[in-house]
Amino acid sequence: MTSNLSLEQSIDTVLQKTEKDILLNLKNSSIKSKETLDNSLSTLEGEFDKIISDGNKEADKIGKQIIGSADLEARNKQLMALEEGVNKVFSKALDEITNTARSGDYSNLIKSLLDESTKILGTTEVIVSTNTKDKDLVQSTLSQFPGSELSSELIDCLGGVMIKSKDGTTSFDNTLDARIERLKPLIRKEIASQFGVGN
Amino acid sequence: MTAEGGVQYSKIAEIKGPLVVVDDVDNAAFDELVEIETTEGERRLGKVLEVGHGKAIVQVFEGTSGLSIAGTKAKFVGKVMEMPVSKEVLGRVFDGLGRPKDGLPDPIADKFIDINGEPMNPEQREYPKDFIQTGVSVIDGMMTLVRGQKLPIFSGSGMSHNLLAAQIAKQASVVGTDDDFAVVFAAIGVQYSEAEFFRRSLEESGALKRSVLFLNTADDPAIERIITPRVALTVAEYLAFELGMHVLVIMTDMTNYAEALREISAAREEVPGRKGYPGYLYTDLSTIYERAGKLNGRKGSVTQIPILSMPSDDITHPIPDLTGYITEGQIVLGRDLFRQGVYPPINILMSLSRLMKDGIGEGSTREDHSEVANQVYDAYSRAQEVRALAGIVGKAGLTGIDLKYMDVGDVFEKEFLTQATDENRTIEETLAILWKIVSKLPKNEITKIKDKYVDKYYQGD
Repeated sequence: MTSNLSLEQSIDTVLQKTEKDILLNLKNSSIKSKETLDNSLSTLEGEFDKIISDGNKEADKIGKQIIGSADLEARNKQLMALEEGVNKVFSKALDEITNTARSGDYSNLIKSLLDESTKILGTTEVIVSTNTKDKDLVQSTLSQFPGSELSSELIDCLGGVMIKSKDGTTSFDNTLDARIERLKPLIRKEIASQFGVGN
Repeated sequence: MTAEGGVQYSKIAEIKGPLVVVDDVDNAAFDELVEIETTEGERRLGKVLEVGHGKAIVQVFEGTSGLSIAGTKAKFVGKVMEMPVSKEVLGRVFDGLGRPKDGLPDPIADKFIDINGEPMNPEQREYPKDFIQTGVSVIDGMMTLVRGQKLPIFSGSGMSHNLLAAQIAKQASVVGTDDDFAVVFAAIGVQYSEAEFFRRSLEESGALKRSVLFLNTADDPAIERIITPRVALTVAEYLAFELGMHVLVIMTDMTNYAEALREISAAREEVPGRKGYPGYLYTDLSTIYERAGKLNGRKGSVTQIPILSMPSDDITHPIPDLTGYITEGQIVLGRDLFRQGVYPPINILMSLSRLMKDGIGEGSTREDHSEVANQVYDAYSRAQEVRALAGIVGKAGLTGIDLKYMDVGDVFEKEFLTQATDENRTIEETLAILWKIVSKLPKNEITKIKDKYVDKYYQGD
């Protein structure tokens, strides 16, 4: 009986000690877990903030990309539409020039084109080329430019003259096409301003 | 200029390299634009390099291949080369001569400006002192770029300067102001794939709408390269001084420009200077670089980042050497860092921004910027010495403080220098990393920073 009692007491002691140890361990573990949780909270918050900030940056970047591309696309369409408008005005103006009556102001124009061209080449000893429509007008005006002669070869142009020195080394293109080409950027700007662009 | 432009001459005396010598010319003027017409009717542009004794030497931008003395005609236009400019050039892509390359029509010009620009009156120049944020930590933190500065990047063959250029173009911005910002990008003699990369990366990042691209590819005639930086700078000056924008001009690769200059010089049989480059290389480069700046009473600014690849990584080569005399500092890319896979591989010990001190600090970036940057320069320099020592005595032979400096070197390269190509860091983020590096050192090693900043920002034990 006595040995059983003593055994039970020993077992109880061991059990109590073990229980105490386990409880202590659990308590420590709980404290440690809380500590770990507390510590990781700031890391977690940091990570969270970083993810949010990276996400915002990425969203901002994508937003800029979308807006930038859309803006450019819209602007490009506007440019193409404007160019189409400018070209229409241009071709209409060219049609009108082609169909202008070859008299009055136009004959004065041919005279001034010849004046300008011979002055630039520094001689009236030139061969003048022009198109079918202006041929007669140019021929009659050439009498005012001694030494000049009309080329038998006709050129394809809206109007005006192309002159060449008789030795063939210098030439000056004073056709309406060449003049329009030289002034095209300014004419385009002028037409565009009529559409309200570039004012 | 000739009083009367438009005269066409058909007496060609000689065709030599990129030059055409026209005979019996009256009234031609230096720099006058010339239209060369081939026997097939093809038209090429050129400009007058020399006139006298009835002859004019014309430099043909698009090259002289296919031209013959008989049948070639030269029309002297009567004006210098001009670039049509307006706000509409933003978002556009042009070739090296300023002609549209994006399938869209010519821009409706607000003005036509001589591409040679007008020299800035030194009296009217305003000292550059406003910060530009590139989003690249090592540049913003250690060699800060300021508005109106010219800060070249010295690179080497095959290194990542194009990636860096594209990243700066995408990310650069002015902080603390609502002023408009624009990027003008001039690619000079680059490969087609590189030109496409620049165009695509600006397009995809949405930065194209505030950019203007001039692309002269490697297969374009070399002579066009003489013009590309000039048309780009003409547009930049218009945007800056007429429209009040802050414009960053990135020009890559200036070595290709200098080589085109050498080609013309050789064709003109001029006495060569160092490595065959013309003796006036310095003067010529300065006509490009000196177009950066700010003007009193004008809102905008032109800032330049010219990029040049140093032949054989030789920093004493005439191109980087002469560039360094004109510009205000340099950013040098290091081959060792590049081989280690570090991007951007900027060697900070060889790099410097001379105007940095005026563009940082309180009111610009942050009050501690200058001191923390100096401390990191110092620490990284020491780290390099320690690394060299470790190579001899081994890591075991180093002292505790030496090891800390080694750690600083590693953190600097891995966390500060290394950056993703699409990572745009704010100046605050950059300064935070600089403090993280400084905080690897014990406080008694921090000798370049005031105590009040150490107390405020130091994160060490």
